This record gives sequence, structure tokens and C-alpha cells, in this order.
Amino acid sequence: MRLLIVEDDTDLATRLQGVLRQHGFAVDVCHNGVDGEFQGQEFPYDAIVLDLGLPDSPGLEVLGRWRAGGLRTPVLILTARDTWQQKVEGLQGGADDYLTKPFHEAELVARLQALIRRSRDQADPVLRVQGLELDEDTQSVRRGARRWDLTATEFRLLRYFMHHPGRILSKSRLTDHVYEMDADKDSNVIEVYVNRLRRKLGNDIITTRRGQGYVFGESGCD
Amino acid sequence: MRLTSLRARLGVGLLLSLVALFAGLWFIVDVSVHRLLEAQLADRLAHDGENLLGGLQFDHHGHPVLDRKRIQGIYQQPLSGHYFVVASAGARLRSRSLWDADLPLPLLATGETRLLHVTGPKRQPLLLWVRAFHKQGHEIRIGVAEELVNLEAGVQAFHFRLLGWALGVIGLLLLLQQYLVWRSLRSVALAAADVKRLEEGDITQLREDVPDEIRPLVAAINTLLARQDRRLHHSREALGNLAHALKTPLTLLLQLGHERIPDSEDRRQLDEYGRRIREQLDTALRRARLAGESLGSRRFRLDTDLPDLLDTLQRLHHERHVTLEQAITPPDGLLPLEQQDGMELLGNLLDNAWKWARSRIRLRIQAATDEVRIRIEDDGPGIPPDQRHQLLRRGHRQDENVPGHGLGLAVIQALVSDLGGRLELGESETLGGLQVEVRLRRNGAPSSRIQ
Repeated sequence: MRLLIVEDDTDLATRLQGVLRQHGFAVDVCHNGVDGEFQGQEFPYDAIVLDLGLPDSPGLEVLGRWRAGGLRTPVLILTARDTWQQKVEGLQGGADDYLTKPFHEAELVARLQALIRRSRDQADPVLRVQGLELDEDTQSVRRGARRWDLTATEFRLLRYFMHHPGRILSKSRLTDHVYEMDADKDSNVIEVYVNRLRRKLGNDIITTRRGQGYVFGESGCD
Repeated sequence: MRLTSLRARLGVGLLLSLVALFAGLWFIVDVSVHRLLEAQLADRLAHDGENLLGGLQFDHHGHPVLDRKRIQGIYQQPLSGHYFVVASAGARLRSRSLWDADLPLPLLATGETRLLHVTGPKRQPLLLWVRAFHKQGHEIRIGVAEELVNLEAGVQAFHFRLLGWALGVIGLLLLLQQYLVWRSLRSVALAAADVKRLEEGDITQLREDVPDEIRPLVAAINTLLARQDRRLHHSREALGNLAHALKTPLTLLLQLGHERIPDSEDRRQLDEYGRRIREQLDTALRRARLAGESLGSRRFRLDTDLPDLLDTLQRLHHERHVTLEQAITPPDGLLPLEQQDGMELLGNLLDNAWKWARSRIRLRIQAATDEVRIRIEDDGPGIPPDQRHQLLRRGHRQDENVPGHGLGLAVIQALVSDLGGRLELGESETLGGLQVEVRLRRNGAPSSRIQ
């Protein structure tokens, strides 16, 4: 899962980036509205955290232009502006959730996870696909009584696969959703991680489609 | 009719000037008619006098003798109202109509004529024409008189007609004037109606298509309203920026504290300080943001603002499956609150209900003549009666000792109080949870605050 944080306070943005990374997200940060707007449109984020009090272009305007341009990515507004009028404007302006400062980091993480689940029409808070159960808190995966710990990249990759079972996912798409913007994006690295997941969870869990990409689970199902 | 009304003033002004005009006219006409009629009468008297002179002879004693044939019958009837006297040095001839009476003739030089008002034999007013002649070597004076009674009666009749006319014309002019005034003041009345709508929050600016005379006034009011609105907007924006500037570092401070300080008494204290700062900040900001009873600000609309708010609440509490029943009946579709004030009040009330309801919330908004009642019920745990009382008695203090609703209700109570409303807590009869009722004064009624 890859997130975008648009927040003008660099300290807070850096902290949030750290916290969200710990929870298995790839996180890009923008410190102003103009860059944020561009990046939100340009890259396939799974969710966006947007501050309203941005120095150059107000958050609500950025959001308005995203929605007018057809961008469907779920947006959580994170702001100190806590009047109901502002909440109504935010949600009617196209946001999906609204969290006011000061806030607990755990609440932000929980809300983002709920937001992403909602955007994938997943009602169950625990991700279960093909007999596998993904535990987002411990970044581990279980099948029955067996449990495997995952590294951060393995976790991000498996989560993305589990969110899109049975679909062909190209290496570049996986790279986009698993890595941050300035990471070294060698698509061969994806291959390495896919093989690691196969070794842990069984070879047939991910099928290779030559020239197209990978399919998680049985092709064509779900 | 009070004289502060322009219409009454104009009416009275017109009435007074018309009465003065007609009185003046009356005087002039009266004098002129009298003069005219007297001149006419004098002509006739002079003619009769000349006639008498023509029929006048002197006998050998030098006494004047009148030719009977030249005397009109009216002078022969006693007290007929028509009289003459011919006076010469030796004798005095009087018409038979004079009976025993006489007319005083002034001494005049030959050729001199005089008109006099004298009293007649019946003590009635007479007009007397006297002229001195020289005939056949004799100095004579001839006086001819006629009663003014008939003349006066004619003038009187004329006066009555004139009065009738005057009253009729005054009445018509007043009616016409009132109609014209009504027509020209109608646009003023429209402006006044606009002001009323402005007070009720139906409109935010007055229409400027009004007569020239009041346009500067309307424009000045509009300018003031716009300025006030801008000021409110700016101050709300500034408060938003302040909140942003303070709360972001506060977030960082608390999060850093959590990271660096192990779970201990120190950390609990840090949390407590953080909570206090946030509450103080929230209270101060909330108060400063309220528009209160400012004139010309847009009111909270139940047909557009409420659905937006409800949609927002439903999305914010997405994971909770709560059914909302609504009964919204105010006929004007407005809350007696500025739009953002209304958002804040209903947002907090409903958010609180959403947090504690198990599955149902009921929202009822009703308008009475002098107040609007908002009642929100839920099927949550509610608050025991003694704690409800305690919660309200503690006033603005935010109390976390009351379980469940405590903090949310403390904020709501402060808000309701700042908005000049009244808050009542109870138990929902049908849903079993908490029932919160807020009463808001409608426009014009003095606000009563709870403390």
C-alpha cells in the first residue's frame, strides 16, 4: 500500500511517514498544495492524507481539483480546523474521512486501514484470501495454526496481492504500490520478493504470467 | 395616526395648507363680491337718482316738486326697502316708502357723489347714494337708498356654495395625495419588509431598487452588513489559522512525549496537560467563532445545510449502523442561528448521539411562536437522573467523571449557553437512551441564558 501525505509541517510529516512506514505503508510526503496536487494525480496511491491549511493552495481546492479530474483515491483530511462547517465542507468536497489535530497516531492508522478496506469493499477488518490471514498489526500472515513473520517489503507486497486476488499485476504496478517515490525502483527486486513469498507460503500461491506479470491465488477466481 | 409617519405628516401638512388657501380665497372672494355687488347697486341707485333729477321742478316759491309719473312704484310702498330723499335750501322731499323716517344726507359740493352705509327705518342696513346738483339756480342733494338685506342673502348663498366646493376639493385632494403618497411609499414599505426578512435571516442584503431618497440609507446598511460579514469571515479564518498554528505543534509535542516518556505517572500528567490545553483552546476558539445574533448573516437552512451535515455524520460514523428518524417541521425551514453556529450546534448534538446510540437516533425540530425546539433521542446507555443534574449544575466545566456522554455534553452545554439557548436532559420515552432538548429563542425575543 502506498500513501501520500500532504502536510506543510515538515516535523509532523516526517513523524507520520515514520509511523506509517512501521505499519507497512510506502509513504511519500509533499509539503505544499501544488506539489501535492501533482503527485496525487500522477501516482497510483491507495490513500491520501491531506492537510487543509497548506501555504500555497488550500487543501480543499486541491481536493476539489482531484475530484473534478476524476481521481477516486480515498482521501483523509487531517487538520487543526475542527468546526463542523469545515468537516461538512471537507466531506461534501470529496473527502472520505476527517481527523482533527491533535490526534493519536493509532487512530490515524486505524482510520487509514478502514478507509482502504472500504475503498476495496472489504467489510472484514482482517484480510483473508486463499486460506491466508494477514495481520496488519504484527505484519505477519497465518494459515491455520502456522504463522510467518514478514519483512516490511514482503508485507507490503503480500498485502497488495491479497487486495487484488486473481488479477494480473504487472511488475511496474507492483513497484508503484509497494515502493516510495525516491526508492531505487529496480523491478527485478519485485521478482526477488515474489520468490521469497513463494518460499514461505508455497509455490502455487503466486503464478507468473510471462510478459504480463503475476497472479495471486488461482487465476480467474474471485 | 402617529405624526412620526410620513404619510400622516404629509396629510396634515396638505390639509393645513389647503385650509389656509381656501380661507385666503374666501376672504378675497368675499371682499370682491361685496364690492362688485355694491358697485352694481350704486349704479342702479345713481340711475334712479338721475331719473328723480329729471322729474324735479321748482314751483314759484322755489320749492322742489317731483313729477309723480317719474317715480317708480317701489318708492310709493311704505317700508319697501327702496327710499329717496331730495333736499334743497327750502324744502325736503321724501319718498312715501320712508313713512315717518328720514335719511341723513351729508353736505356736499355741487357735483360731488358719496356712497354711505346707513341704518334704515326698519333698522336694516342700507346703501345710500348721495349726489349734489345744481338745477334751475337751486342747490339740491338727492339721496337714493336700498336695503342690503337681499344682497347679503345672495352673498350668503354664494358663501355656502363656496364652502361646499372648498370642502369637496380639499377632500378630493387629500384622497389623491394619500394615494400618491401610498404609491411612492410602497417601495419604502418593501424596503421595510426587507429589513424584517433580514432580521429573520431570510436574506443577507437589502434590495437597492428603492426611491432615490432612501437609497443612500439602504446602501449604507448593505455596506455595513457586508463589512460585518467580511469581518466575521476574516476572524473565523484567522481563528482557523491560529488553531492550525497551535494544534500541529501540540500534536507533535504529545506524540514525542508518548515516544520518549515510558508509561508512567509522568506520561499521564503529560496527557492531562495536553488535554487541558486542548480544551482551553477549543473553548476559546469555539466562542470566538460564534456569530451570535449578528444581523444579515445567513441562517442555518434545514433543507440544504441539514442534509449535508447528516451525510457528513453518516460518513464519519461509517462503521456504525445507525438509523436516523427525522421530523423537521419549522415552516420557514430555518433555525434561528447563523449558518455556521447552527452547523456547530447540530453537529455536536448529533455527533454525540451517534457515538452513544446502539442503532437508532431520532431528531425532531419544531417551531413554536417564540422558540425553536431541537430534540435528539437515542437508544444508547443514557445518563442516570442524578448525574444529569450534576452535569448541568457544573456549567461550563468539562466533566469526565460522568461516564459516557460527559465530555460531549459539556461542550454542547457551553455552546448552547453561548448561543443564548436552554438545554434540558432527560430520558427518551420511546428509545430508552438519552434525550437532549435545546430551546432557542426566535428573532426579536430576548435571549435567556443558563449559567
